[in-house]
Amino acid sequence: MSETMHPEDEIFGKFYDARLMGRILRYLKPYWKLLVLSLLFLVLYTGTLLLGPYLTKIAIDQYISAGNLDGLKLVVMAYLGTVFLGFFFLFGETYITEYTGQRAMHDLRTQIFAHLQKQDMAYLDRNPVGRLMTRTINDVETLNELFSTGVVGLLGDAFTVFGIAGAMLLLDWKLALVTLAGFPLIIYLSRFYRRRARDVYRESRLVLGRLNANLQESIAGMGTIQSFGQEEKAYERFQGINTDYRDVLLRGIRYNALFFPVIEVFSALTIGLTLWFGGRLILGHALLPGVIVAFIQYIQRMYTPIRDIAEKYNIMQAAMASSERIFALLDTEEKIRNPLVPKVPRQFQGAVEFKDVWLSYNPGEPVLRGITFRVEAGEKIALVGATGGGKTSIIAALCRFYEIERGSILVDGVDIREWNKQDLRRRLGLVLQDVFLFSGDIAGNITLGDPRISEEQIHAASRRAHIASYIEQLPAGYREEVQERGVTLSQGQRQLLSFARALAFDPRILILDEATSSVDTRTETLIQEALKELLKDRTALIIAHRLSTIKNVNRILVIHKGELWEEGSHQELLARQGLYSRLYELQYQAQEHGGNGAHSPVG
Amino acid sequence: MIVRYRLLLIAGVVALIATDLMGMAIPWLIKGGIDAIIGKGGVSPSLIKYPLMIVGAALLQALLRYFWRMNIFGFSRRIERDLRGEVFAHLLKLPLAYFQHMKTGDLMSRLTNDMQSMRELMGFGSLAIIDTAVIITGSLSLMIAIDPVLTFWSLLCLPFISFSVRFFGNRIFQKSWDVQQHLSLLSTYVQENLSGIRVVQAYAQEENQIRGFQRLSAEYRRKNLWLATLWSVLWPLMRIFAGISAAIVLWLGGRKVMQGAMTLGEFAAFNGYLAMLTWPLIAVGHVVNQYQRGAAALSRIIEILDVPVAPGYRESELPTPTEPIRGDVEIRNLNFSYGDGHPPALRGISLKIPAGATCGIIGETGSGKSTLVHLLLRLFEPPPGAVFIDSTDVTTIPLPRLKAAIGFVSQDIFLFSDTIRENILFGYRDADREALEESARIAEILPSIRGFTRQFDTILGERGVRLSGGQKQRTALARAIVKNPPVLILDDAFSSLDTETEDDILNHLREFMSKRTTILISHRISTVKGADMILYMRKGEIIERGIHEELLNRRGAYYRLHQRQQLTREVDEMPRREGPR
Ligand SMILES: Nc1ncnc2c1ncn2[C@@H]1O[C@H](COP(=O)(O)OP(=O)(O)OP(=O)(O)O)[C@@H](O)[C@H]1O
Ligand SMILES: Nc1ncnc2c1ncn2[C@@H]1O[C@H](COP(=O)(O)OP(=O)(O)OP(=O)(O)O)[C@@H](O)[C@H]1O
Ligand SMILES: [Mg+2]
Ligand SMILES: [Mg+2]
Repeated sequence: MSETMHPEDEIFGKFYDARLMGRILRYLKPYWKLLVLSLLFLVLYTGTLLLGPYLTKIAIDQYISAGNLDGLKLVVMAYLGTVFLGFFFLFGETYITEYTGQRAMHDLRTQIFAHLQKQDMAYLDRNPVGRLMTRTINDVETLNELFSTGVVGLLGDAFTVFGIAGAMLLLDWKLALVTLAGFPLIIYLSRFYRRRARDVYRESRLVLGRLNANLQESIAGMGTIQSFGQEEKAYERFQGINTDYRDVLLRGIRYNALFFPVIEVFSALTIGLTLWFGGRLILGHALLPGVIVAFIQYIQRMYTPIRDIAEKYNIMQAAMASSERIFALLDTEEKIRNPLVPKVPRQFQGAVEFKDVWLSYNPGEPVLRGITFRVEAGEKIALVGATGGGKTSIIAALCRFYEIERGSILVDGVDIREWNKQDLRRRLGLVLQDVFLFSGDIAGNITLGDPRISEEQIHAASRRAHIASYIEQLPAGYREEVQERGVTLSQGQRQLLSFARALAFDPRILILDEATSSVDTRTETLIQEALKELLKDRTALIIAHRLSTIKNVNRILVIHKGELWEEGSHQELLARQGLYSRLYELQYQAQEHGGNGAHSPVG
Repeated sequence: MIVRYRLLLIAGVVALIATDLMGMAIPWLIKGGIDAIIGKGGVSPSLIKYPLMIVGAALLQALLRYFWRMNIFGFSRRIERDLRGEVFAHLLKLPLAYFQHMKTGDLMSRLTNDMQSMRELMGFGSLAIIDTAVIITGSLSLMIAIDPVLTFWSLLCLPFISFSVRFFGNRIFQKSWDVQQHLSLLSTYVQENLSGIRVVQAYAQEENQIRGFQRLSAEYRRKNLWLATLWSVLWPLMRIFAGISAAIVLWLGGRKVMQGAMTLGEFAAFNGYLAMLTWPLIAVGHVVNQYQRGAAALSRIIEILDVPVAPGYRESELPTPTEPIRGDVEIRNLNFSYGDGHPPALRGISLKIPAGATCGIIGETGSGKSTLVHLLLRLFEPPPGAVFIDSTDVTTIPLPRLKAAIGFVSQDIFLFSDTIRENILFGYRDADREALEESARIAEILPSIRGFTRQFDTILGERGVRLSGGQKQRTALARAIVKNPPVLILDDAFSSLDTETEDDILNHLREFMSKRTTILISHRISTVKGADMILYMRKGEIIERGIHEELLNRRGAYYRLHQRQQLTREVDEMPRREGPR
């Protein structure tokens, strides 16, 4: 249960990065007219906010002190006017921003998801599911926050602060200068706070990532934990991370608890200063009293956005970091891409040819070394050999899950690199060694939601895979729910289901990678009988360890340590007295000489 | 849990109340300051007095504020961590069936997102409740002290505020619940898609999957937009009410100042308190909201805690015996079903395996072989009085003792994304290097490991994706062997191995197994034929039992199976190679 770190997780972003911002904005481009409108609303709304205290000042200085009731009425009406206008502006601004943000996020999310679908297996092996999930879901959510409260909110806050400063300067520049004197200090303080907050944020993200990874693996591996009695250890591990997380967050609280009160003190200090200095001005008849009231209201309205800006800094930064990670993902090239003009063989028959194929998962450690063979259309071939020899890797190379290093693979005379990947794979019916079932119903697992497969075909495929009788006795039959990964089915039943899936897709080339290794022999034989008819003029590649299951093949390839060791029919290989004949002898002996052979567990 | 940190909470609340009261004093001082300037005339010491008092009050307030923030937020974070730990500890004890019917994504979301909502309820929620109460009473009484009539008029909008908050609050709660739920759906979709990406790509179903995702994402967008619409009406609406109140005060208050019934300072202070009131009034709705969300989250968490732990984890008063388990296994008339509505998975199973003996189980797909050994391990709970180890009912054996005694290789192998070393030592961390290598050797995985550049430190990737099928099985085998248990259960543990490797392993294991009770499940007769007893299972029942020869002589199901697996030397049975067409 390691919570291994990856370089991308270390990206924490700056407050603002023009290049990234440019890319983010590109997603908003289709909606730019709406955005301009919302910006306009924002400016107008800020205006109404600024007008309030100003109107109060006019009311006091021009009408209240003069005893002009009609004038006061006018001002109150104007005040009400700004309030109602403000309502519409604010509503328009919020709604439009949210609308565009949601649209852009939907586009982005879909793009990421689609991008992931096209990645090669090497990439997907490297990146844990949890991390890619975070990219597609959480990082996009973070970015969304930038849209809904971040950018626009920041702009609004900035408008407000500058607007207020401007209004104050207009009202009385001398008093305004005194009032604003503390500003540089505040800016300095916020910078200090930001730096600290960033460190905490950075750490909390790291720890949260570890927490999630641990959680996911613990839940997925609960059966293993429980059957090994490792609950205690698992708990300790989790609680360690959980505690780290708390401690980081507690540190964050301290910075917040310091910063926000200090800002409030500044606000009070400024008010005190205004009162004192303004009072002197008034006494010297250089100022009207309404100005002071307006100033105090302005000051109170000014410190909210200042505090917000510091808080939104976190949002900005989180969004920058998220977008950097998202773009890093989107920038990973599709390693295995479709050719611009895919070649299509004139006729699809199902011939496969490997020419000196080399494959390595890690550079410099070839797993396949110069594999060369040819399978004619309609031929049935078995791949046998010791475990870890590279059989599954041959299949993976054929499906183009991994790009081969050297050599070439031809399907119907066309290099698979010139095929359209999806077209190629549609022709190959693959039963994977690692069975995977989706949650949903049984029928959905057979068709994978492909609407082209009819109910009839589902039933036929299940019958051929000899799982139909089991399915039909279930209460809901083909509509019976399957749990995540099919955990409530027996292992053999899972294999049969995924076998049925391959058959339902009616492929030209059927590839079975240990497809019936956990299925009882009776069922296996029945399936073979059923396949005989089905495979009549189709190609088949069959990997199996039980030699009795490959009785019907035309040719056998023996794969050993990444090389094609031997090749030929059963008799030819036996006559050769090589690896195959040894395997064969072993199995033969095992069955012939009862409980006292070398294989026997109890001597 | 709350009790543990009650001092923290109490201190925090007291500080919070004090902070709020201090905040209330500041407009009062401003009022004094303004009146001192305009009312009296002539430079007086009071000109500097009020500003100084304001700053002093603000400093004190800052101190108090620091204190409550540390306490209340600290409280909520500590509670969060403790509760999360508790829920996790509970999860570890839940029956396996629970995890089979819950989605991983859903459980994760409860332990992270819901925990966070709960924390916010504890932190901001308690803050808002207290804040609201103190500020409303404080501001109101001060406003009344300044001018009761004006207070009445200024609060004319109050009913509207509480009405719209109630109206929108409920809907917002509903919608945000929807959104949360849908987000979890979206995550689960991505998780499953990525876990099964090989299948998706192998069947060229990418477009299909993308369409599915797009549908879900569009729905999510729609739900979010609904929520946003509600918010974008509610907030501006609140502002309107606040604005109307302010206009009323400006009008009526202005008149009073003109008439000399009110000083300008009082007017300013009144405005200040009114402004202070707006937030808590809005917050009332917010609090209700947050409370509901937090409560919903909490109920999702409690739901987990309410699931009863698997019987094995319940406290038992029985003393743990000290003598080691020998490994006599006995099953008496065991019937088992996975729950109501499920057909029985096992029917009338009885068997006896003396310590040190080997029992082979062979049988048809779905016949209950795995179920049987799961019951022995109490991964699912067997009925009492049916399964015994050393003549003790397993339901009364303390779990740690039981699990330490059994080495289990599951049919469905799970490896952690850690190093090979950590994976092998998973069940027995005290093993030394020699034991590690020895078990790897017995399981025949050592040569493969030697082939890796980083040897035992090779990282396996999620669920062991970087290993071949057979390598995974052998790693799991080594993991069971290193425990050195008196009982060894291998559930189809050789299915992905070639005969030669299997043979080597069985040879290595021979000595190991001779002293241990072993249960070997397999589909291959060659694996079980040497066992001291062989069971043949079909549809949850043992239909034949005996040693290899006996079973062959019986000419029953076992015999037919044997015939099917026969390899023949007869050359002409193999079809000749057909030439290319
Ligand atoms: N995704 C991967 N990343 C890195 N290495 C891999 C990966 N898949 C397989 N390998 C390595 O490649 C080698 C060949 O594996 P492969 O799965 O092709 O064997 P196999 O012949 O199918 O064996 P088995 O019969 O056990 O399934 C093994 O040593 C394995 O560790
Ligand atoms: N967790 C579960 N919940 C409900 N039903 C289950 C569960 N696990 C297994 N079953 C059902 O119980 C029956 C017996 O399953 P079990 O896994 O014991 O079979 P098995 O003999 O091990 O088969 P295989 O040879 O395929 O591994 C099957 O019909 C299966 O669908
Ligand atoms: Mg393989
Ligand atoms: Mg099983």
